[in-house]
Amino acid sequence: MALRPLTRLLQASVSAARLHTPPPSLHRSPLACPSLLSTTQAVPFSTSRVARFSFNVQDEADFKDRVLKNTKPVVVDFHATWCGPCKVLAPRLDKVISAKGGDVELAKVDIDNLQEIAMQYDVRAVPTVVGMKDGKVVDTFMGLVDEDILEVFVEKLSM
Amino acid sequence: MPPVTANGADLKAAIQKYIADNKVMVFSKSYCPFCKKVKDLFNSLSVTYTALELDQIENGGDLQNALHELSGQKTVPNVYINQAHVGGCDDTLKLHTDAKLLPMLSENTQTYDYDLIVIGGGSGGLAASKEAGKLGKKVLVCDFVKPSPIGTTWGLGGTCVNVGCIPKKLMHQAALLGHAVDDSRKFGWEVPEAVKHNWNTMKEAIQSYIGSLNWGYRVALRDKDVKYENAYAEFVDPHTIKTVNRRGKENTATAERFLVAVGMRPRYPDIPGAKEYGITSDDLFSLPYCPGKTLVVGASYVALECAGFLRGIGLDTTVMVRSILLRGFDQQMAEKVGAYMEKGGMKFIRGCVPTKVERLEEGQPGKLRVTGMQDGKEVVWEGNTILFGIGRDAVTEGIHLEKAGVQFNTKNGKIYGNDEEQTNQPHIYAIGDVLEGKLELTPVAIQAGKLLAQRLYGGSQAKTDYVNVPTTVFTPLEYGACGLSEEDAIAKYGEDNIEVYHSNFQPLEWTVPGYDPNDCYAKIICNRQDNERVVGFHVLGPNAGEITQGYGAAMKCGMTKAQLDTTIGIHPTNAEIFTTMDITKGSGEDPTKTGC
Repeated sequence: MALRPLTRLLQASVSAARLHTPPPSLHRSPLACPSLLSTTQAVPFSTSRVARFSFNVQDEADFKDRVLKNTKPVVVDFHATWCGPCKVLAPRLDKVISAKGGDVELAKVDIDNLQEIAMQYDVRAVPTVVGMKDGKVVDTFMGLVDEDILEVFVEKLSM
Repeated sequence: MPPVTANGADLKAAIQKYIADNKVMVFSKSYCPFCKKVKDLFNSLSVTYTALELDQIENGGDLQNALHELSGQKTVPNVYINQAHVGGCDDTLKLHTDAKLLPMLSENTQTYDYDLIVIGGGSGGLAASKEAGKLGKKVLVCDFVKPSPIGTTWGLGGTCVNVGCIPKKLMHQAALLGHAVDDSRKFGWEVPEAVKHNWNTMKEAIQSYIGSLNWGYRVALRDKDVKYENAYAEFVDPHTIKTVNRRGKENTATAERFLVAVGMRPRYPDIPGAKEYGITSDDLFSLPYCPGKTLVVGASYVALECAGFLRGIGLDTTVMVRSILLRGFDQQMAEKVGAYMEKGGMKFIRGCVPTKVERLEEGQPGKLRVTGMQDGKEVVWEGNTILFGIGRDAVTEGIHLEKAGVQFNTKNGKIYGNDEEQTNQPHIYAIGDVLEGKLELTPVAIQAGKLLAQRLYGGSQAKTDYVNVPTTVFTPLEYGACGLSEEDAIAKYGEDNIEVYHSNFQPLEWTVPGYDPNDCYAKIICNRQDNERVVGFHVLGPNAGEITQGYGAAMKCGMTKAQLDTTIGIHPTNAEIFTTMDITKGSGEDPTKTGC
């Protein structure tokens, strides 16, 4: 699959941000902007079908427990609040994952909050999506992709 | 390989650098059996050494002569350990047989966690650390933003990226676009009369861009193998720092060398309500609501730029000024900057200082009352937001420079450095805004950081040139300058020895909308005793930054008035005015434009 050049990603992030403005927050540091405020979690856990198979990674221990030690394949969505394409990709990922009915889980990592994890997985630009099985990376892509490509990505992962 | 340098002094300096930078330094010749013996010895002992093969470089002979003068030894190998002269092959082998070599190698050399620790991840600190990382050094950068009084913080990259140049210029652009919408009607665009500006749309878009820059810096550090800690660093002793991260976790780290590049933060006046209800440029660019009717206190370039774009996006804006505008800049230009702002609807309260700030109503924005004192009389302003732009202070207070033995100016916190950015402690350096007596400009800090790393680790001798640095103030009408103000030129050369050429000019684009043909102004100050060399360059007009950058390069090359006269202008541009200046201030002739 084609990777978008970084510059296009960044341009897209600025224009798309107008359509998908995150909730106003005075604080922009990881300290003051906990992932709970992130727009990707607009859907509450308890009531949504989507949310059952997706979660926001809270910290490094959480990543270890719910991603690395997960017995199911996990799609890790590295995203940022300032990234427009991430906000377009997120609902597509939610949809494709929920269609798998729990065979594959979706872990969302805010790269500004969890810089070390993002660094470890060589995230240079966002969105970067990593497919993992048994704690190991099996596939990865960077940039905004269409739903059918996502389906193939997730399908391959769940085989 | 190109020659290292040409003259004797430089050759010696180059040799001394090899000796200083390498624990074990062997000046050698590739075919020399004695040299081979010494290198074999070090290899057998697993000692890391650096060998310079004098027969394989172009000026090896000259280097050997210089080495002779330095060490008193004519032949190779010529061995230095821990910067001490050991001698030749026999001397080195004897040291080993006397069992003195290995102790010498372990003595006097503490091992540190890092080659370089950089305190401050702004423009200067990042430039230095990336360059040092690129040159193979082990580098740690500590960056930590203490929240502003109202709680604003930001990411990696320092003032320019987060709360300075970048958001400032983008908000200036927002204001210019509003102006362009007005102009466009005269050029035939049928734009509806009621166009509104949305603060949050602008703010979010700018903050998104900044977010991507913060991440870009983080990735760049990793690419250069530079370790980054989002932690506040302070000195414990001359070679050790303590870091505290945002969770309160403490760590210590040691380094052979340090670079302090902590920059500055806005100053608040010591009056009731200032910190409780006031904001500064640290808060403005990410403010989650439109500031509304705003009072800007101060006449620094930060104050005037912020006031300028706030007025430009349609807000009722007032500037409260104690005395002069743009202290340190050419005052004729500064007054013209202010006059143009006033024409654009900016209100100025001159000769006035605030005495208290009170909150009348809470809200986003709330309502404030500011009381000031002007000529002994009380002045009251009511509005939504008060922004202080009265100056900035170096943030060296908490980093315990005294524990490292570094001397600094206790009045403003700035660090004293020599022309190589070195403090009184030879292994501690300072760059950027924190350096006493130097320019507070991002590109200066970047240049200083990069060249410093190249001198420390790359064998370079190039120093940062702090003379004739071009800069631009992004007020509604931009003001670009390079070199001396008229006041400084008079003080330096004497009034009789300078010639000032000046001219008003009208941008072609201003003719159709019918703007004042005399708002824009160009001035050069020439030294009569030196071939009318241009020592000061000043321009007030659209895109002054773009104009000044080019002429700044010319001034670096020693541009004279005659050379400007022989330069052919690009027509129609604003910059071409400098190629056709023939009115001197001394002549008393009117430089304003009257006809077509």
